[in-house]
Amino acid sequence: MWDMPKIWVFRGLKKGILTTAYPKSQPTSEEVPTASLPPRPTDAVDWSAGERGCPTGAIDSGGKRVDLGRCVYCRLCSSAGFTFDDGSGSRAGALQAGLTGRHAAGARRIFGRSLHVMMIDVGSCNACNLEVLNLSNPYYDLSRLGIAFTNSPKHADALIVVGALNPAMVDALKMTYESMPEPKLVLSVGACAISGGIFRSAEGFVSPVGDAIPVDVVVPGCPPSPVQILEGLLLAAGRLKETGAMR
Amino acid sequence: MRNLERLGEKMQLSSVFQAGGLNYALISDTETNKTIISELPLTLSEEFGALLRGSGAKPGSPLVLEASGRVEGYGVFEFPYGPVSWGVPEAGAFSLMTYGERVLKVVPRLNFKKRGIERAVLGRTPEDALLFVERSAGNFSAAYSTCFAAAVEDSLGLEVPSEARWTRAVALELERIHNHLYVFGRLAEAASQNIAATQAHALRERVLRLNSRHFGHRYLFGINSIGGVSRGLPKDERRTLTTEVRLIGREFSELVQYFLSSRIFLDRLQGTAKLTRKDALGLGTVGPSARGSGVQWDDRLTFPLEPYEDIYVNLETEDGEDTMARTMVRVKEVESSTIALRELLDRMPSDGTKSGPHRRRADSLGAGFSFCRVESPSGDLIQAVQLDGGGRVGSLHVRPPSLVNWLPFARSLEGTVFTDFQFAFESFGLSFADSDR
Repeated sequence: MWDMPKIWVFRGLKKGILTTAYPKSQPTSEEVPTASLPPRPTDAVDWSAGERGCPTGAIDSGGKRVDLGRCVYCRLCSSAGFTFDDGSGSRAGALQAGLTGRHAAGARRIFGRSLHVMMIDVGSCNACNLEVLNLSNPYYDLSRLGIAFTNSPKHADALIVVGALNPAMVDALKMTYESMPEPKLVLSVGACAISGGIFRSAEGFVSPVGDAIPVDVVVPGCPPSPVQILEGLLLAAGRLKETGAMR
Repeated sequence: MRNLERLGEKMQLSSVFQAGGLNYALISDTETNKTIISELPLTLSEEFGALLRGSGAKPGSPLVLEASGRVEGYGVFEFPYGPVSWGVPEAGAFSLMTYGERVLKVVPRLNFKKRGIERAVLGRTPEDALLFVERSAGNFSAAYSTCFAAAVEDSLGLEVPSEARWTRAVALELERIHNHLYVFGRLAEAASQNIAATQAHALRERVLRLNSRHFGHRYLFGINSIGGVSRGLPKDERRTLTTEVRLIGREFSELVQYFLSSRIFLDRLQGTAKLTRKDALGLGTVGPSARGSGVQWDDRLTFPLEPYEDIYVNLETEDGEDTMARTMVRVKEVESSTIALRELLDRMPSDGTKSGPHRRRADSLGAGFSFCRVESPSGDLIQAVQLDGGGRVGSLHVRPPSLVNWLPFARSLEGTVFTDFQFAFESFGLSFADSDR
């Protein structure tokens, strides 16, 4: 029987373009699912109606302010009147990476055209790791933006830290940070890295990553979707305006 | 002690845990497909001793899984790998004993990311504990939360509606598909088949998006609650999900044809990192790794929770004992999972997704424990839960699939070369987050 030759190029062409239009336009609801949207207080918020309270303490007792760095997006607060979608169908509100005060103004000149990124895991559940790895799949295709992964801190411009900082990883994290050449950026990705998330009371959590090494950008989420991590990278490289649009 | 001298031939020691001040051993009999619970003392090999000591270890103290026997000889040195590396995108380390290219012995070093889930949940309500348990291992989250919820429900005597149980099974099968696709993609990356790898990862992304559309989370966090599921699948969603799953299944078969026509890829898998059936049984290997060595054990058939008694799942095994066999088990499992999903979605009962108020089973509180086994993508996951008098978690024992697969992985690498490392690691589907928990 004659076997059809299997030619990857033709197969690839047949698939068409899968890659997201972000950052040229806002991400779609497929790219940032509702589960990655931050909780918003509504007028109807009555925290006492929620039986269990916020498991990470992200919502203060008054119930009006949400600390996204702590939020694990468990959506238990929906019973207390929080909403997760502004109803407009827009995903603009999903982009929530934030700069810490440390970030230098000249980042765009230095990192704007080429950014080499390394990831370090300091005690994650593996979901954040997988979402960072997903950035190189055809749907997000990091390399089209001049961003590339590297596997040595000596080659890295930016360090993505994921996970709740474990006592066994404190020295490894500091050594990795010190091995990176100046100037350097650090992104704290996911609730565990930013604040300890759900594990902030667990034995295996030392401190937020920001207490061990200086952090430039935080990307909240549990885990943040790849587009949200991408937004953090663009923000770190100084390529986003305050409004989230491409510079 | 019933026939325990046959342990390692037809039987496999699966777990050892403490409940009510007694030590129990959980044994899988691969001949009769039964789970046997036996009270200790059992004489444990040194290798298992290391595993068991590890489950009580505090965060920060390393767990070194050193198989017995030292390697000595001219020029033998220890090559440390990890905990910061890109080849293994997680925090964990290995000591490779070598005199150059050949790997003589591998010693996995764990607990770099031990968060102490088993202790963190103590004294919490089962609902709150679920948030921790499902974050033990993000890629096996549905298996973890289903296992924990089922064990708690068993000890509470909760009547869980069939629809909720079937919905959980749908989540488990979707999780299996996306994990197997990940392994497939990583193996292609390891063989430098980059186009192939991106195609596999693209297909996986589609499954993740299905997860988020139908279950509300890409990694299936928060799908379970005690006594049911957070969100059911309405009829029209079942229909669209069936169509999507069929498309993904078809595309995967096509992708596999492409892979299997690449001799370069096959050459890297065939004969790489062999694990004999005897070792697989003796070292307690679970999941596709064990089935790749001909061990007939799949919790979906040998410890069936509700829907799996009613639907057809094929026990996929291979006799090749190498990376190729383990990969082919995963390939066949993706195909059988898509078939199972079609049946699950088609015949799902509609009797609600939440249980009514629960009646506590009196004997389960205080002294007793209930355990559950769930077939996670990398194998048999065991959890034993004990609730205290107030209905809070009194003790939790987790036996993750990755933990017992480290020693077989190390054994399979003995005598291979450095470049085989990635293939062995990915084909066993090992996760440090899972084994450290």
